[in-house]
Amino acid sequence: MHQEAREARKYMQGFGYLVAAYAIVWIALFAFLAVLMLRISGVRTELTAVEQLVREQQEKQNI
Amino acid sequence: MALVKREAIIEHGAAKDDPNKRDTRFPVVSIILGSLSLIGMMVSIWMIFLYAPMDAIQGNPQRIFYFHVPLAWLGMLGFVIVAIAGIGYLVKKDERWDWAARASAELGAFFITLALITGSIWGRTIWGTWWTWDARLTTTLILWFIYIGYLMLRSYMGRTSASARAGAVLAIIGVIDVPIIYESVNWWRALHPTAEVGVQGALPPSVVLTLMVSLTTFTLLYSFLMIQLYQLQRAQTLAQQLRASIE
Repeated sequence: MHQEAREARKYMQGFGYLVAAYAIVWIALFAFLAVLMLRISGVRTELTAVEQLVREQQEKQNI
Repeated sequence: MALVKREAIIEHGAAKDDPNKRDTRFPVVSIILGSLSLIGMMVSIWMIFLYAPMDAIQGNPQRIFYFHVPLAWLGMLGFVIVAIAGIGYLVKKDERWDWAARASAELGAFFITLALITGSIWGRTIWGTWWTWDARLTTTLILWFIYIGYLMLRSYMGRTSASARAGAVLAIIGVIDVPIIYESVNWWRALHPTAEVGVQGALPPSVVLTLMVSLTTFTLLYSFLMIQLYQLQRAQTLAQQLRASIE
């Protein structure tokens, strides 16, 4: 009985730290991916808008 | 008409290839790398928690090692890539080298930060302290500061050739820290464990296999993220140059 309890305690020792380490890595990875996707979509939107501006200026010059 | 020509020149100068290929060249590679990273992550998690044996002395916190080592390895590799890309830029004067350097710096800084955090958590459970001025830890912290310095410099100087040159020089000087980190556990008496992979009988085969799977997975993830960041750098440069052309 004591042996089982000791083994269970040993198994659980530091388990919180292990979970914290993996949680931090996973949350950080997902946050990094999310921010990256937002940045990519933001710059694509900006590119489209600037290209549109360039086209408009070109049309004005042609007139 | 002049604007159209100028735009074409900018795009040619920025990408040196057909800009329409921008959105079609990488997706297949990205999808393959992304899928492999995801599958690898799931396999790694299974191996780390269910396949690899629990360390008799360290207990559960030893499992942090399976994420900590790949993160640290990629943090160091990231800066080597920044330096190589910096040399490439100085030699070729091609902006693509600079985009690769910027992309790798962002990614490397992220990975080395996570390596420091996971290492600190492991240190708390095994050494009883979050931080100690051990040679390996100190040299890794120096690399982190070099990364932050690099990113701040590039951000402050903007997207100019002077910024790219200054970044390249900083990277070439800073990369000297990488072999120092690697050898620090051999050169100085340190708390940090020495390299055990490849040493006969140091680690059980299941531990080595789990580490290798995790290492491969993180390298695939690094490659996937590197492609995304490179594309982002490319698009940002193009947008900036187009904006400048209409102002």
